[in-house]
Amino acid sequence: MSPIDCLEALKQIELYLDGELHGTLRAEIEEHLGACGPCTDHSEFQRRLKDLLRAKCGCHHVPPELAERVRSLFADPPVA
Amino acid sequence: MARRPAAPPEDPAVRARFERDALPLLPNLYGAALRLTRDPQDAEDLVQEAFLRAYRGFSGFQEGTNLRAWMYRILTNTFINAYRKKQREPVTIHDDQIEDWYLYDRLGEAGVEASAESEVLEKIPDEDVQRALEELPENFRMAVLLADVEGFSYKEIAEILGIPIGTVMSRLHRGRKALQKALWETVRERGLVTDRLP
Repeated sequence: MSPIDCLEALKQIELYLDGELHGTLRAEIEEHLGACGPCTDHSEFQRRLKDLLRAKCGCHHVPPELAERVRSLFADPPVA
Repeated sequence: MARRPAAPPEDPAVRARFERDALPLLPNLYGAALRLTRDPQDAEDLVQEAFLRAYRGFSGFQEGTNLRAWMYRILTNTFINAYRKKQREPVTIHDDQIEDWYLYDRLGEAGVEASAESEVLEKIPDEDVQRALEELPENFRMAVLLADVEGFSYKEIAEILGIPIGTVMSRLHRGRKALQKALWETVRERGLVTDRLP
């Protein structure tokens, strides 16, 4: 396995954190991160930024009326 | 001609399947709609329209394939067709001056230790994060939303938005850089770090 340097690792961290690296390249990044404190700091920071968006985007509160209206789009027709 | 609510699939089993599989996606789709339209009423209308379209087309949806991606594709297409026209906004971002690791480097320069950076991020109010996301031009906002909030893969995002994977990667990278700049401005305005620059 060819070692990668910090420059290369930093370039790949976005793909790595997005789960888009596989096989040898992924293993190389993990090996590098395991051995390199500064790159690990960068990687952790980027990961927290991703988490921040998910946690703070305010995305998961649905107004009850909306839920009701959407449900009524395909609710069982009333029994005659 | 009076329009029936959804011209529903006749087969009750299809209807039941839609209710079972698609309805649970409502919170996520509504959240995405909020960030896309930036207006609660528009978001409600968008979600309702997207569900209506999805329901009408559901008998053609192949069970076992990616329903989430299919629903998001309908949502983003509906948004693009119906709402984009209403909004005048920039279509690109000027990120020549934003280097990679922008926020990380700014925090470092301000004397924030790596171990304390997450505390600073945690202090950013939710509404500031939401505003930073909403201020991204739409193409970038959709990519970031789908990747970071919804956790879609690049391939799924490419399919949802109908763009090549290379474009997904570029929009994500540039969108995230612009986000970091906006978040840094928030951090400074809110006084979350003491600026040590001379």
